[in-house]
Amino acid sequence: MNRSARAVSALFLAAAAFAPAHAQDPRLGNPLDAPSRTAILALIDSAKAQGIPTEPLVQKVNQGVAMGVDGPRIVAAVRTLTREMATAHRALGTVASADEIQAAASAVHAGVPAVELGKIKKQSGLRRSLTLPFTVLADIVSRGVPVEAGVNAIRSMVGAGAKDADINNFQRNVSGDIEKGAPPAAAAETRAKAVPNKPDSSKPEQQL
Amino acid sequence: MPEWGGGRTTLEMIVQELQRPVNFDETFERRVMVRVRRLHAERRSRGWIAIASRITHRPGWAAALAASVVAIVTLGLVRSRPDVSAQHGAAPLEPVQFVLVAPTAHSVAVVGDFNDWGLNDSALVATNHEGVWSVTAPVPAGVHRYAFLVNGKQWVADPSAPRATDDDFGMPSSALVVEDSTR
Repeated sequence: MNRSARAVSALFLAAAAFAPAHAQDPRLGNPLDAPSRTAILALIDSAKAQGIPTEPLVQKVNQGVAMGVDGPRIVAAVRTLTREMATAHRALGTVASADEIQAAASAVHAGVPAVELGKIKKQSGLRRSLTLPFTVLADIVSRGVPVEAGVNAIRSMVGAGAKDADINNFQRNVSGDIEKGAPPAAAAETRAKAVPNKPDSSKPEQQL
Repeated sequence: MPEWGGGRTTLEMIVQELQRPVNFDETFERRVMVRVRRLHAERRSRGWIAIASRITHRPGWAAALAASVVAIVTLGLVRSRPDVSAQHGAAPLEPVQFVLVAPTAHSVAVVGDFNDWGLNDSALVATNHEGVWSVTAPVPAGVHRYAFLVNGKQWVADPSAPRATDDDFGMPSSALVVEDSTR
């Protein structure tokens, strides 16, 4: 192959490589109206430029389409998620994984200040994944646990070296306690104290 | 930057291709000039059809164009395939059992971001064991959102899982964190 032919080949490859991935992604909400689709593509490009994971945005679109939601509402949801992931990304820093960013974004959505998430990340070090702790924090806050109580509970468990299985059980116990009428803050504080004493527990504890 | 086999980026592949040395023999310049003069003469006499005809008779160009078209089609197919593991990078698949107690349900399916929310008939169909519906499926390690779809129309969150707090569409869903068992 001579140099010219090689250059043409390279240009074709480059064009394919640098074309936006979503332009070829058939999963990206084909039923969407044109303005909504354009807005979503712009949001995804913006997220990509900021180093934010884009797969959760694509899946948010799919979720909306599957649920039969109209285009403008899907755009609003994707915009909100983009903003919350950007906030989480800034708070956690570049060491955070895509999963941690997504989980932290859900905590931000629930009302947890991003700065608190950043403190937990700093405290936990690089090796400990905070995907599950942030997911549980979002859950318990959405169930009525005050943000401060929820953050303190998660921080104490992570600081004590609790495993994901323990924090999972904590979530089940707290939600069970709340469903039975316990004050959310009391449930979180009480259950968090028990976790470090039983680091390898595999079953939910008895309800309060 | 997208990556394909062996961790090499496309840009690296392109750069390597362009940097490969081209060997010219001693008569190259003379042959080029002969062809340029002949091409110029033909263009004046027969127009652009002559050039098109000439290009198609050059195996180098034909091979380059064919290779480019194949590359673009292949890359497009690879990048657009709705493959679950591709959506979540190289995350390993871990078996996950989904269970919902729904004694009066006629059908239960599981949809989530691991199967594009059931679009393109990708929902996981649960089987009924006296009102306890369950299905086990491989799910990539990582964080996920999902829900049960009861009777094909009712969205139900998993009561045993953390809530997905960003249920912007007014229908509940759940959060799932799948641990990587290889770590």
